[in-house]
This record gives sequence, C-alpha cells and structure tokens, in this order.
Amino acid sequence: MSVASKAGGPAVSQSARSFGVDWGGVVLNVYIGFFFLYLFFPLAIMVLAAFNANDTPSITDWRGLTLEWFTGRYDENGDLVVRGLPQDDRFLQGLWHSLLIAFGVIAVAVPLGLAGALVLTRLESRGTTFLYTILVSPILTPGIVLGVSTMIFWRDYFSVEAGLLTTMVAHSVFISSYCMLMFMARLQRQDRVQEEAALDLGASPVLVFRRITLPFLMPTIFTASVIAFLQSIENYNTTFFAIGSSWTLVTEIGARLRFGLSPVVNAIGVIFVLFTICAAVLYVLFKQREKRRTIR
Amino acid sequence: MSSLYRTYGSFLTSLFIIMVAVWIVALIALPQINMIERAFIFEPRGGAAIQAQVDVDRIYQRLSTIKYDIAAIKQEAAGGGGPVNPFAPGAKIGESNTIGPAAGTAPGLSQTKDSAKQRIAKLRAEEAELSAKLVRLEEDEERLKAEQEAQKGYSLRNFTTMSSIHFKIFVMTLLYSVCVTLICFVVCYPIAYAVAQTTNKERAALLMLGLIIPYAINELLRIFAWVMILATQGIFNVVLDSMGLLSFADGQGIQWVASNGAVFCVMVYAYILFMVFPIYNTIETLDRNQIEAAKDLGASTWRIHTRVVLPHAKPGIAVGSIMTFMLSAGSIAVPGLVGPGLHPDWFSQVIYRNFFEAGNWNIGSAYSLALLLACMVFVFINMVIFRVGIREIAR
Repeated sequence: MSVASKAGGPAVSQSARSFGVDWGGVVLNVYIGFFFLYLFFPLAIMVLAAFNANDTPSITDWRGLTLEWFTGRYDENGDLVVRGLPQDDRFLQGLWHSLLIAFGVIAVAVPLGLAGALVLTRLESRGTTFLYTILVSPILTPGIVLGVSTMIFWRDYFSVEAGLLTTMVAHSVFISSYCMLMFMARLQRQDRVQEEAALDLGASPVLVFRRITLPFLMPTIFTASVIAFLQSIENYNTTFFAIGSSWTLVTEIGARLRFGLSPVVNAIGVIFVLFTICAAVLYVLFKQREKRRTIR
Repeated sequence: MSSLYRTYGSFLTSLFIIMVAVWIVALIALPQINMIERAFIFEPRGGAAIQAQVDVDRIYQRLSTIKYDIAAIKQEAAGGGGPVNPFAPGAKIGESNTIGPAAGTAPGLSQTKDSAKQRIAKLRAEEAELSAKLVRLEEDEERLKAEQEAQKGYSLRNFTTMSSIHFKIFVMTLLYSVCVTLICFVVCYPIAYAVAQTTNKERAALLMLGLIIPYAINELLRIFAWVMILATQGIFNVVLDSMGLLSFADGQGIQWVASNGAVFCVMVYAYILFMVFPIYNTIETLDRNQIEAAKDLGASTWRIHTRVVLPHAKPGIAVGSIMTFMLSAGSIAVPGLVGPGLHPDWFSQVIYRNFFEAGNWNIGSAYSLALLLACMVFVFINMVIFRVGIREIAR
C-alpha cells in the first residue's frame, strides 16, 4: 500500500476530495505497470543488444552502435569480416524449410479442420462428444509427445526418416484441431436457411457447398490459414523431436542458443519483434473495427 | 449425420467423413497406439547377441575379401606376363601378409604362376576354415536372438526399470509445472480482470496490444532475453556487482543459469501469457452490472471476486491452467536452452536423451507415455475441480 500511495498520491488527490480515493484502482494500476515492465524489459534488452558492436550479446558492455549484425561487413578486399544475417546460409535455408513446412501445414490442416467441423456440427448423435474429444485431444497433448509419436510412427510404418515431412505431419496433428475449433465457432453462427432454400430450388449439393457454405466460411479460412502458418513457423517443442537432421529457422535459433550466443540471433529477434508488433497492431485495429460493426 | 447428408449429398458427405477418418486414424490414433505399443515392449540390450552379430558380420566381410582376392589373382595370372602391375588389385585390397610380398616383386611369368597357385590355395584353406566357423557362429547368433525374442514381448519393464533418478526427475518436473501454473494464475488473475474490466476503449486496446506483442514473440526469443539477463556476465550479475553484493573483479559472477530455479523463473515468464488470455476471455463476458450490484449490496472486494468473478471465470482458469501446465511439463525449449547441460535434467530432456543419445526408443516411448498420462490426469483433475466439460475447455 505504501508503494502505491507514493506512486499514485498526487494524481488522485483531486478525486479523493469528492468521493474517496479508489485505493484498489491505484494498487491495480501500479501492479499493471510492474507487470508490463516485467513483460517488456527482457525483450528491450534483447533488441538493444542487436545494435551493440560487442560480439557476445550484451548491453552492459557497450562497444558502439552498429548495424553489422544485420548487414555483415566486408573489408576493402571484399573478404567477409563480420558474418551478419545475410551471410548466414543456415538461417536462410532454415527459413525456407520453415516456409515449406508452414505451407504444407496450411494445405493439410485447413481442409481437415473444415471437414471435422462440418461433421461435428451436423452429426446429431450421441457419439459427438466422444468424436469431439478425440479431435481436440492433440491440443491437450504435450508438443514433445506429438513430435515423438509422429516420428516413430513414420519410421516404423513407412520407413520415412525424421525430416521436413514428419515435421509437417506432426504440426498438422494439432493445428488441424485449432482450425476445427475456429470453423466450429463460425458454423455455429450459420443460418442454414440459405442452404436449404438453395437445395429446394434445385441446386446440387456441390453447388450449395461451393456457392453458399464456402463463401460464408471464407473469412475463417483466411484467419485459420494465418494462424496455422504462424503456429507452424513458431513451433519449437514438436519440431525439435520431429525434424531429425534437418532444421528450421526456429530450431536453428535454438541450436545457436545452445552452442554459444551470437548477436546475429539478436538481429533475427529484432526482425521477429518488428514483424510481431506490426501484426499485433493490425490485429487489434481489426478487432476493434469488428467490435464497432457488431455494436452498430 | 442425416443433416450433413441432406445438405451436401453423398459425395461431399463421404469425402468429409473420409477426411475425418484419415485424420483420426493416420494422424492421431495410429501414432499414439504405436508409441504405446513400443512403451510396453521391453527391448533387452544383451551384449552377447550383439557381439555374435558383429563377429558374424566380420567373417562375412573377410570371406568376400578372400573371394575378391582369388578372382584378382586368377585374373593377374591369366593376363600375366610382362611387367606386373605393382598396383594390382590383389596387392591393394588383400591383406599384406598373404599376398603382399609376391605381388610387387614377381619377375617372371612362371614364378608368378606358381606363387599365384600357392596364394590361391592358402586363401581357399582360410575360406574353408572361416566357413566352418561361420556356421557355428550363426547358430549361436540365432540362439541368442531367439533368447532375446523370448524375453521381449509385452511387459511393464520399461516403466519398472525406470531408475530412481529418472523417477525423481519426473516427479520434480511435474511439481515445478504445478508451481509454474499456480504462480502464473496468481500473477495473471488481476491483470486479466483489470484488462477485461477497462471501460476506456483506447486504454483497453493499448493494454491488449501490450499483452499480445510479448505473447506472439517467439518462445525462444523470450527465453533468450532471459538467458542474457541471467548469464554469468549478464545484467543481473552486473546489477549485483554495482550494488557491491559481488565483485566481477574477484571472479564472483554467479552462474544463475546452472540452477533449476533459473529454469523455473524463465518458464514462468515464457508461459505466463497462456494463462492471461483464457481468463481474460471469460471475465470479458461477465456483465459489469453483476459486479455493480454486488458492490451496491455491500459486498467487499474479496467477496466480489470469490462469489461473482471467480465462479464466472472458472472455464477460463481451467483452460489457462491446463495450457500452462502442459507447456511447462512438456517444454524442451526452456530447460534445453537455459544453461544447457549445466543444471539437472528435466523430464523432457530425459526423453530426448533416450531417443537421440541412448537410441532406446522403447524406453523413450514409455517416458513419453508417462508424461502424456500425467497431463491427462491434470486435465481430468481440472475438469473435476472447475466442473467444466471438455467442450468448455477446448473452445
């Protein structure tokens, strides 16, 4: 309480005269402040260290501002002096692997999620809850178990060694479930009258699906693809077990962290952070616009 | 089912059902069943059978070398005459003690032919001897393998042979995960409440942004940020140094990352936001009038939370706890990257070692199954405590 009174004292004194200080609110605000400090301070350190010329990531041992970790540096003879991000082939290759996997996951998970959601929302039977439990169970399974089971399964049954394919499949197992939940949320708001009307007017089922159901689900197909893509790119725990001797961007970052820190990782971190901030701002703006629309 | 069929016809209906079936069978059920099956098959690692196999392999290798040598000598003798190529295949590939001296030095045709005959005879003798030995050894190998097969088969031995160290790690990992979950809940509940109850739109959006950004930043980078803080030359030690609590000059930097406590702290940081969002989502749906009504009727802040907000937030708390627990118990990222190899292993690392270092997949499967079961038990306990169904948990 004493900390709170020091921090919020002068600001609330005016309202205090009229209806008493809302001490609870002050404490809560201070608490929120500390919480956000806790969330952002480590990230700020990481971002700052990417611009330090010191070749072990640090902000306390400052050796001058540099962009070398982003660009690399060549001396006058054209020899590489500082290996920056563009010179790091493994990261670029890893990014390529990640993208391949992520697009594969979208191709598998979105259709599976859609099929699962359609079957579940229209299956009027007692088995629904059981089926539902099975289909969402991957979400409730630890990532490493999914990675392990997929890796062994493909080795034992198809003699496929762990690699990009097994990683793609392991990701699809749980990302399909996420997609399914998104489609189910959308389908619950669906008005089935349109479909029935179209059928009554003689449209074929395939036409109904293509012209009515799919357009209705289009926004969800888009968001589900984005979420699937991000989940796949970001994943580490499942990937680590299913990737075998290959690597993705994230497992490569992990490998670098295990075998000695390098500011190049900080540089990647900065890019990730910038990308995330842009995406998050867009998301929040989009959400707000949607909210306003529904209120109206 | 009838509704599905009525709307989408037989073709699309069967397509959807086939897709779901493939999903369940090929992606979910069979891999798990396969893992469970391996978990219950004990793989004896007897040295004798492996040694026998190695011996047999070695004899096979020697036999093929002999065959090759004989062929080479024959060819050499047939095409012989003239200067003998010092790099004749026989000289290069065969063992030097049997054919080495003859190959390079043979001066004339007849001498070469004689020595070639001798060498072939010698090799044939060796071949016969080895073949006899091979039969014996192969019998041995068969017998040993059969013995092993007999020992194999379904049993609980993968679990019962779990060493006490591994079992302790298992229990500790689960305990740590429960603690992570509890701390996350205590820290996050006020935040989720505050954000959900903010009436000012701009402020709410800003708070939301502040939560989403760290949530969306990659797990590994969040861990890395903390490694920078806790490293021996990291910020934490520098601060302690400047406060005079330790001095770098005397080499007193504390290796924080080498402790399980550091792993624990980083885990809280890495997974805390998985607790915020589910709780936020449920509190957001709570009608503010209920809180106002409780206030007007004279309820204390404590009672408002225990009687109005918390009961409403139950499903969110259940989801948050399950996610946080599952992520911490199954995390290979945090223990693997915070001071790798410096602190005692976590269970996920034990599983990793079984698969990729010891190469004992069945024990690895058994341990994975143990982890899976622990998580299932946790989910079940949560469902009972918070009285929520599976549909409310996975939404």
